[in-house]
Amino acid sequence: MFSRRDFIKQGLLPVFAGSAVPTVFANGVATAAADSPNATPSDRVLVLVQLAGGNDGLNTLIPFQDGAYHDARPTLRQDQGVLTLNNQLGLHPNLKGLKASWDAGQLAIVQGVGYPNPNLSHFASMSVWETASVQGGIGDGWLGRYLNYLDKVGESANHALEGVSAGSLVPPELRSTTPVLALQSLKTFRLQPVTEHGTQVEVENPLMKFYGAFKSSGPAPFGALLDTTLQEALQASHALLATDASYQAKATYPANSPIASSLKLVAETIVSGLGVRVAHVTLGGFDNHAREKPVHDKLLLDLDQALTAFMQDLQGHGLGDRVLVMTWSEFGRRVKENGSAGTDHGTAAPMFLLGAPVKGGLYGQQPSLAALDNGNLKFTTDFRSVYASVLQGYLNAPASDLLGGNYEILPLLKA
Amino acid sequence: MLATGAAGAAATALAVLWKGNDLSQILDHVRDLTHGYQGALSSERVRIAHLLRRAGFAATQAELDRYVAMGTTAATQSLLNFQQTPNSQLDGQLPAIDPMGGKTVTAAAIQAWWLQRMVQTARPLEEKMTLFWHGLLTSGLDKSGPAQMFTQNQLFRQMALGNFDDLLKAVAKDPAMMVYLDTETNRKGKPNENYARELMELFTTGIGHYTETDVQESARSFTGWTLRGGAQLRFDTQSLFVARYHDSGQKTFMGKTGNFTGDDIVEMLVPLRATAERLSGRLFSFFAYPNPEADIVHHLADTFQNSRYNVGAVVKEIFAMDAFYSTKAYRSLVKSPAELVAQTLKATGSNAKGYTAAAAAMAPMGQVLFYPPNVAGWPAGTSWVNSSTLLNRLNFANAATQRMRALLPQQSLDQLTSTLVDGNLSPTTHDGLHAFAAAHAGDQAGLLFMALATPEYQLN
Repeated sequence: MFSRRDFIKQGLLPVFAGSAVPTVFANGVATAAADSPNATPSDRVLVLVQLAGGNDGLNTLIPFQDGAYHDARPTLRQDQGVLTLNNQLGLHPNLKGLKASWDAGQLAIVQGVGYPNPNLSHFASMSVWETASVQGGIGDGWLGRYLNYLDKVGESANHALEGVSAGSLVPPELRSTTPVLALQSLKTFRLQPVTEHGTQVEVENPLMKFYGAFKSSGPAPFGALLDTTLQEALQASHALLATDASYQAKATYPANSPIASSLKLVAETIVSGLGVRVAHVTLGGFDNHAREKPVHDKLLLDLDQALTAFMQDLQGHGLGDRVLVMTWSEFGRRVKENGSAGTDHGTAAPMFLLGAPVKGGLYGQQPSLAALDNGNLKFTTDFRSVYASVLQGYLNAPASDLLGGNYEILPLLKA
Repeated sequence: MLATGAAGAAATALAVLWKGNDLSQILDHVRDLTHGYQGALSSERVRIAHLLRRAGFAATQAELDRYVAMGTTAATQSLLNFQQTPNSQLDGQLPAIDPMGGKTVTAAAIQAWWLQRMVQTARPLEEKMTLFWHGLLTSGLDKSGPAQMFTQNQLFRQMALGNFDDLLKAVAKDPAMMVYLDTETNRKGKPNENYARELMELFTTGIGHYTETDVQESARSFTGWTLRGGAQLRFDTQSLFVARYHDSGQKTFMGKTGNFTGDDIVEMLVPLRATAERLSGRLFSFFAYPNPEADIVHHLADTFQNSRYNVGAVVKEIFAMDAFYSTKAYRSLVKSPAELVAQTLKATGSNAKGYTAAAAAMAPMGQVLFYPPNVAGWPAGTSWVNSSTLLNRLNFANAATQRMRALLPQQSLDQLTSTLVDGNLSPTTHDGLHAFAAAHAGDQAGLLFMALATPEYQLN
């Protein structure tokens, strides 16, 4: 409907003419007024950490007092060093940084998150989480719809850096009609100079004409995509070149850790003031059907160290109030370990929300190990309830519109 | 209908452009709008170039000349009957890799080796089918070792156009697959569901045609095949059957009961109509265009079932279809990084270091050979195009042309675009390239880069 571009063109920003303002926009203004003084919604960043392959929730948030846990996990159980949260539950021994955040009241854990009629396929279940629809499918992602909403209400800066994914692909939860950037490095995100030619005049400008002409010339299915993508790429690269490139990490990120590199890139993007609203990073390798323990231990160690450095870095730049981290995985694992010292696909698992904006604590209910469904946990909190809580409580967006339904709002976030 | 649509679009565009543009800009735009580039397939040279982009990794000018001289029918036969084409020239140039070489086989070495095959093979379809199988029956270096991935790659090449049941039986015992989907741990009394699930969800029927019990019973059936474990696990390139690991008890799978083995499961899955339609749809989407019409899928699934599950018969049928040469098919696929890099290296030439550098340059474009993002393979299509991958595609073209700057043959712009993009460019691009050539006479590398950076070249 209205994009920021339209508002700017028509000189309307930020004056609205009464009844012509869409209702969603009016809601946005109303809630913004009641917002915390530290960070206006447009300054806030949500960082999504995908634990791809199906994280073993029972070996992440561990019911260490439950005999059924020990019986189901003869080789995989964590007997030693569990970081206790209360007299029933504790964090995996390698989550020391997250435990420190818990102690500081900056870690919220939602227990037993899942959805009805769980799908045990990686791809079907990922699609459910990515689209926030139990049908899954190839539509816009749930955060893509948030970006579309920002554009619609004129909240969008309308450049390619609002949605950022560390890596070479745009993840489905960011699929949208607004530009989203897959980013591998801020420094190399540009068209490299062509020997003896001025990049902009002799190369970029002609290419822009070529791509525009191709879009017009016949029913090429990718003509418009190629044209828009080149425009976004060059526009974003110019913005990056003009940016203060003086970012210095204020924490030591672990070496040889892809998740740490990804989070450092996200930190750099946030610190550089590029207008990022939603960022996505992926840590893969959780599909451990065999010999799970050493692999899972290492994954959680990498995750913990990378997140700890990331939070320290942002705090060091005075940006801790503006950033919320949320983890998700397509499913948890089977309660009973299999014969290969691994676990097969399961269902419910905990989600972590990390950062100064959260109200630390445990939310929802830990699923019972005594009442299983085909060997799998019964979920106790719908994942869309967590999404709704973040959309409404943190991003000040109309959760029920964006999720296509009303879900319980959990008090996960500071007012 | 079409004429009205084009005229309507042109009128709309004119109305938009009229404000503040001079007449020449408007005329340029109208020229692009009315450029009927999809009529290009009426030329046999373009049809054969299209065939070679799809059945292989496109062609050099000399290769294209040779296939055009054969004509479409003979060229297609030659591609399909590739076993009759000697490949000794390629074999003589490839670096030696020993599948028994354990840790001496590196990821970088096998990636450069495969890329060189794609560029230099005399049997393009053999290599293209190997890439198809790698994207469907996935394994990856995140779990499997390089020597194992190399061994699996040979299997895909050997069985490129054979019977699907034979290939699936072999893949279940393939060391890379056994590590990637954990069948090496799958033992009597300790079934592991990983392979059993993906075999149905991704390799055969697709989701919705089996139950969780079928997954569990299938896993029991596949027990028995294993690898030498421990430190050797990722280097072992020969699987073995250990009878005491096999669960020989009764299993009930998809309504049938028996002492099934893994081969028995394959023989029950491959004849299913869902398998025939899924594989046929995948093959057509890979070679022709995505989301094929139902009647095309039915026809190809019939071909598959009537030929006793022969993949070559399906591929042959695809290349014979009008739909394959339709305007809907022309430039309807985004070049995968493998296709883009291989065709670019055909255009620039390469040395051994060039193959290694090019294989590494594929990562930021979104495709690392032998390392698919997950068991579903590469998502392809629009996912190859985002602002980051597009810049990397253009930067690779720049690096590849500059690397070979001193060695590039002098070719006219028309020769270049004839080979690279069927000589079929929008008028604006055509004129823009000619202006570049006129302004920078003698800069062959710069001109080749500009041709490789066109939107037309990004598509297949």
